[in-house]
Formats: sequence, structure tokens, C-alpha cells
Amino acid sequence: MLAMGEVHTGLLQNSGEISESTCRQVLGLMAGETVRVSRRPIPHALSPERLTGVDCALPSASRSRIRGVGTVVSRCAVTGGRVAQGSSYVRVVRSEADRRLPWSHYLSRPGVVEVLGKAKAADLAEGFVGDPAPGCLDMGAISGRFLDLVQASPLLDRRAPFRIPRTSLRWVAETGEPSIRFTLHTEQERTLRLTHPGPFTPAVVDLCEDLATHDWLLTSLLIIVERARIGATPGAQAVARLAPAIDHLLHLWMPAARVEEWLRPFWESLERQPGFTRQWRSLVDRVRDQIATSTLALLSAATEAGRR
Amino acid sequence: MTPVHATFGEVAAERRIASVPLSHVSVELGHLYMEDFEAGPGRLREQFRKVAPWLATVRALWRERVPGGRARVSTCFLIDDYFSRFSTPAELVPMVLEAAAEHDLTIDYLARESACAESDGVELARLVEDRLVDDPPPDTDGSRPPVKETGWLCNGARSPRTTPVQAMGKARPWEPPVQNAKRGHSIFVDVELWDEKGSRRTWSCPFLAAVWQLLRLGLLRSEGRVPLPPVTLDGGWPRDWDALPAVVRLNPQATPFSAYTTLSVLSPRFLPVELAVRTILSQVAVDDEVLRQVATRSENEGIGLEEELVDRISYVFV
Amino acid sequence: MLVFAISDKGGTGRSVTGTNIVYRHALQGNDVCYLDFDFGSPTAGAIFSVSAVARGAPENGLHEYLRGDCTQPRRVDVWAESDREALRTRPPGAGRLVLLPGTESGGELSAFTDEVVNRCAQLFGRLEEEFDLCMVDVSAGRSFTAELVLAATARLPAIPFRWLVFHRWTRQHIIAADGLVTGADGLLDVGARLGHDREDLHDRIRFVRTAVLEPDAAELVGLRDEQRAWLSACDGELRELARRHGVGRTAMLGKVPLDPVLQWREQLITDEDVLASKIANAETAAAFDELAKKIVDDSAWEGL
Repeated sequence: MLAMGEVHTGLLQNSGEISESTCRQVLGLMAGETVRVSRRPIPHALSPERLTGVDCALPSASRSRIRGVGTVVSRCAVTGGRVAQGSSYVRVVRSEADRRLPWSHYLSRPGVVEVLGKAKAADLAEGFVGDPAPGCLDMGAISGRFLDLVQASPLLDRRAPFRIPRTSLRWVAETGEPSIRFTLHTEQERTLRLTHPGPFTPAVVDLCEDLATHDWLLTSLLIIVERARIGATPGAQAVARLAPAIDHLLHLWMPAARVEEWLRPFWESLERQPGFTRQWRSLVDRVRDQIATSTLALLSAATEAGRR
Repeated sequence: MTPVHATFGEVAAERRIASVPLSHVSVELGHLYMEDFEAGPGRLREQFRKVAPWLATVRALWRERVPGGRARVSTCFLIDDYFSRFSTPAELVPMVLEAAAEHDLTIDYLARESACAESDGVELARLVEDRLVDDPPPDTDGSRPPVKETGWLCNGARSPRTTPVQAMGKARPWEPPVQNAKRGHSIFVDVELWDEKGSRRTWSCPFLAAVWQLLRLGLLRSEGRVPLPPVTLDGGWPRDWDALPAVVRLNPQATPFSAYTTLSVLSPRFLPVELAVRTILSQVAVDDEVLRQVATRSENEGIGLEEELVDRISYVFV
Repeated sequence: MLVFAISDKGGTGRSVTGTNIVYRHALQGNDVCYLDFDFGSPTAGAIFSVSAVARGAPENGLHEYLRGDCTQPRRVDVWAESDREALRTRPPGAGRLVLLPGTESGGELSAFTDEVVNRCAQLFGRLEEEFDLCMVDVSAGRSFTAELVLAATARLPAIPFRWLVFHRWTRQHIIAADGLVTGADGLLDVGARLGHDREDLHDRIRFVRTAVLEPDAAELVGLRDEQRAWLSACDGELRELARRHGVGRTAMLGKVPLDPVLQWREQLITDEDVLASKIANAETAAAFDELAKKIVDDSAWEGL
């Protein structure tokens, strides 16, 4: 019927970026399973997947009682040794039975939640990206706990260079005429509705995680620039507040790095409207200009002093 | 110039899962504990006497089921060297083989129970523990972490605690535990998986037995590789259990150790243990790539396998 | 940084001082949050003048979160939701000021389970990612709440935390403040039982004197010489007593002068209260400002 998930993104709680080998240990969430690491074009490490059993109401825009049983797939990722994610998703399918089956039935279908009784895909999709009622499937809580698992790793020193909120991206993907809708809700909440050609594959999850990473980068840079109060505070002070962004964020922008070819057009359409990279560039320019001006001021002050 | 299509791959970013050769059925001829050993070779002979007709029946059944009648049946025998250490391989193994031979039984593979906990640097028990996915009671929406009693696994919901956590708050009346898949009434099972004294963890007998079943079903992988492949022993039986490989191939003509299905012929005193094993196995999420491999292979052979893991395991209690 | 505010006895002005420190810390440009763990009487909302949660949140308060009845405790953005005009706009350069209220009609903890400790640790871990300072009002005296936060911080070894013990400048309060920290089943005893290093924990505890009347204060100008001499002698004795009980100057992070405004109404003291309406003393605001700086100033926290 459809797939839905939620990605939580935050700053890895460590003073600097972590190495590939540390990544492997931090993300080793399952004995005997390998952490998958790619190094191009940006280091990216992905934990093994773990399952969580659920038997509960599914979110529904019409507030009808729809029961789903199955397992949620979750995983954690670290991008650039710096950005941490907890991500969970399910594929929702109709159950062939009208009652709950033995648990082993659901375990043999990892990441599938079966709907008992009637349900419309559109109702579920709108319910999930809308405002899910309490007591409904809560993948945000699951992703949040997976992100906690990474952040609580004893290998991290918890001395992050700046404080920044996590963001959450709740997404729904259906098969159909290609379209994408990205919506900002509160300061930390985003939703994404995606219609893609062909059947659902985990590549869709990669796309959502990639978008979540970049939205978090943009959101965080905006917060840091706002905190710096460029123009309202002395240049040196503003620069000091911008420094962590330069040290830890600016090099991480790598849109669609891990997105399969057939899903690239979705990223590209978001680049046209609202234009993620456009906004990122303008912010980066602002940060760099501020530093350049401040450096110039320092230099000329030094020259002035030297002349005297 | 025409556009160039680039392909880029990274080995570390891919996941590879080895496949394992499979028999049709793996028959466990027995399981030797210290008390059996202390009872003398008579007890062992008695066990093999009871097993022999069942093994013949299983062979016949599979010959009928397999196209061409070429049934692959392998036999195995498990010795407990985990909960108590007794005797030595050099002394014990020949005695077991002799007793089996008296009833025309061939033991194809011999395994050590402690290998199910850890062997060759592979912690099989940990591997399985990490693959446990708790059977969710109704209204489990993911908002809370699964209710866990550390080191225990149950088949439903435990009694809720009755004392309030808030001063002047209401106490709750007692409520019974509930089995998730109950039919009318509950049969609630709560299994101890391990206990710890200091930093030393001891896995429970049912948990190791569950690992043993998974190993025989060929469903475990460690870093994508098949753990504890059977080893042919050169030279005689060692004097120390630790020097004995985890799984030893005794019969050079044996069909593969792992199999699509398993049968264990056991004394009825193991009934509660096996109920616990099924409770555990029904909550183990086997890697879906591994499941797919097995499904494809069996389909190609024209053998329909039970979809659910626990249904591939059968017992004879004699 | 997590800061736990506790007091030896009730009525020390712990909550009003804690909230004012947090408020000043936000004005200094930091993102801060205040967690109302005073479970028997969750009234921090009133001090921040957020009437919607004046006696705790009607739902999704910290009680419910710790009990496991909600997944996220409610957050109140004070700059947006306060009823006081002076608080309702975020001053330029100020950081976020967020209150996590308790639950209306919630009660003190009477026990806690491992799950409660886990939820508490999860909450601290997440807030610490996001806020420069998280102040937790742990209520007065030995309580399950104090034990709970000690257990939770023992599970978060990498997260920095500090304790502030508030006490008034009287004989009983000085003795009780020392007892709360070093006495049998005090913070150090319980902390050590729960896995903290006793010495390390001791280094993370400082005292704050509240409602202090200095012998040379302006309020005392009208006093007779005999009264002044008596006060001065008392103060000297108290200083000696405090020193003997390890509550002396070296272990003190700061003191807050007696201010009529705080005696009559527990509220945040804004600059407007000092400069425009002049209902509060400038010294009081300055003391809060100073404490808000010292709380994160490592030189004020070097080993004793």
C-alpha cells in the first residue's frame, strides 16, 4: 500500500569528528553484523538494521481505528563522522488474515506491518504526515531511542562544539506519478510526501535520510548564524560564534550523495523549489564574508599599529 | 562526446552473505549431560535403542517426500561441556560411538554445547540475543522501549507492578500475566536467558538449545560468514574439551550438517526446556537474506518448507 | 551542563533563585531549560508567570513522562508563553528559555524503578544535546527525586553536572545543609552507593546562601548600635560554624541578598524591576547575574 518512516537527525555528541573505526564500533548495534561504510564522496557509516515489534493503531486522517501488526526496521547512520541519525520505517500491506497471526509470521517479514481489516492508503498517508493521535504507531519515538543509543556510546566524549536541537523528518512514500512535497512544521519538525514510479525499495529510505541530513545542516547553520548576530555584535565576537560552523558543518554539504540514479530527480526538484543548495550557499557566503571582513579589520588594525 | 556512464563501488559498503550446504533433515540422536554419563553406558544404550526406529521412520518419510527419493539425512549428537565438565573426549567419545553402533546408528556429527555460547572467537549466543525481537502485546505502538526484565523473555505481558511510583498515588490491583497468542486462556511462559555473577554471564540451557537449533538450521551468520563449520579430526580424540573443535565430522560420507528441518529425539524430561526453546525461537529474527537463500534452494529442489521457523523443528519424546 | 538545585529545608528560596539564575543565563546568550522536579509541588510555572502551567501542566508534565505515560514531556517557551509583558519578548542576544513543568496534581515520587531511571537519563541526555544549561529543581531534603537524579547521572558518566545546595544564613540551615551533603544517607553517601565517585561528586557540589542580610546593608542603617554589634557578632559566629561544617566561603558559589520582592512574591527579577519600577534591588539582580556566570566558570569549581 505505502511505506512510511521517521528520521531523527542530530549533532554527534563528540568534540571532533570520529574516525571510520570509531564509527564502526559506535554503530555496531548487532553482534556478528557488519557496519557498512562508504568513503566517497563523503564518509558515511550505516549500522546493521534492528527490528521492533508493534501491534497498535495506525495513524489515520479520518481517525478510524486501523490495527496494524508487524515489525519496524531501524538503523543508525553517521555522516562525515559528525552528523548522527536514527531512522525507522515500515511497509504497510493488507493482511491476508483478519486476526493476528503467530509472531513468527511477522518475523519472517521484517519491516512489514500488516493491516487487519479495511484501510485506505491515502487515509493512512495523510494521518501519518498530519498530526498522529497518541497511541498510534510512533516511529519517532523508536528513531529517537536509536539516536540515543549512538549518542550514549562510551566512545563519544560528549563534548560537542555547540548545542543544537535534533530535527525529525516524517515521510510517506507511495507508488504513482512522481511528486514530492517537503513541509516545514515547527522549528524541528518536517514532513515529506513522496510518490515514486515502480515499487518501494530501501533506496527510498536512503533518499529520505539524505534529505533529512541536509535539512538538519541547513537548519543548524541558520541557528548558528542567528546566534552570531552579525552586525549587532562586534566582528570578532560574531566570528567566534561562527567558528564552530566552519570547523564542523560547512564541508558536509553533499546533496544526493547516496541517492540512487532513479531517485535523483526528486532531489533536483527540491533544488529548484525551495532550493536547498541555494540557501546553503548564501549562508556559507555570509559566514565567509563575515570572517573575511573581520580578518581585514584585524589586519588593517595591525598595520595601523605597526605604522605608529 | 557521448555521456559516459560511471559505476562506482565500495566493498565495505556492500553486504555479503555466505550460503551453507543443507541436508533435508538434521536428526539429533541424543544430548549427553553429566547425569547421563554418571548413570553409565546402559543409559546411553537405552537412549539409542529408543531412537533407532524413529530415525528409520524419518528416513522413510523424507525418501517419499523428496523427488527421486534421494533424501539427505544427517545425524548429530550434543555433549554438554558448558554447565559441567566431565570425563575427556578421548574417554567419552569412543564410548558414545560404540553404544550407537550397537543399534546400527551412525553419528555423523558431534558437537560441544559450549560452542553454542562461544567458540573460535564467535559468540553465537550474543549473536542470537541481538536478534531477539520481542513479541509485542496489543497496543505496543513503539512509543516506549519494549518492556524488559533483563535476561528474561516471555510470550506475552507480565503482571503490571502494583505499587504506585507517586506519593499519595493509587495502588493498582493485581492483574494476571497474559499470553499474546492465547486461545481463550493464557499459557504464560517467561524464560530466563542468562544470569550474571559479577561480570561472568551464564547462558541458560534453553537459550543454548535455541542457538543449537539455529545452527542446525544453517540460519546463523557472523560477519556474513557461516560460523563453526564442521571439522574433520586428524589424529585421535584430545584429552581436553577445549581442544575439540565445536562441530566434528565423524562420518566422511555424511550429508551436510545443517538442514532445512530438524528432528530431536529426546527424553520427556526435556519437554519444559523445549517449550522454552520454542518461546525463544519464535522471537528470533533471522536475517532475511539468509531466509531467502534457504527458501530459494528448497524451492529449486521442489521442497515446500514451512514458512515459520518454529514449524521446521520437530520432536519425538520417548 | 546539568545543574541540580537542592536545599536542606523548605523555604530557602531555592526555586526562585534557581529560576532567576536560569533567566540570567539566558540573557547572557545561552540556551537554557528549567526542569521542575519539585514533584510534591510543581509550581515553577508561577515564577515564570506562565499561568497555563502555574501549578504544573494539565497533561504531559514531567510526572507523566517519568511514569511512562507520555513519550515527550511538554516544553514551555517562556519568551512566547509568559503572561508578563517584560518576559514575553526575547531580548536581543538572549538564548532560548524553556520550562519543563511538572504535572498538575502530581505527587512526590514514592519509589522508582529501573525504567524510571532510564527515562530520566534519556531526558537529561537529550536536553544536554540541545541546551547549554539544564537546571533541575530537585526539591528539599532527602527524597526519592534526589536519589533518582543521582542514579540517572551515574548512568551518564560523560555528561557534566553540578549541584547547588541552597541554604539560609542561620545556624539550623548551615548544619542541615552540611548534613544533606555529608551526613549519613546524604548526597555523597547515596551517590557513592549508586556508582558515583565520592570525591568527584564532592567537587561538584557548591553552596548558595539565600536571603542574606549583610551587617553593612542599607536596610540596617536605622538600627541602633547595639543591634548592629549583635548582628555582626552573630554573623561572625555563623561564619565560624559554616567553616567547621564545610559550608564556608571556599565551598560557596555565591550569595543572594535579602530582597523584599522575593519575600513577598516569588518571581523573576527583570532589569525593569530594578531600573524602571525600582521594586527590586540592583544588588539582587547583580547577584543572580554573577551566579549565572559562575555556574559555568570552571575556576569557581576547582577542587576544594
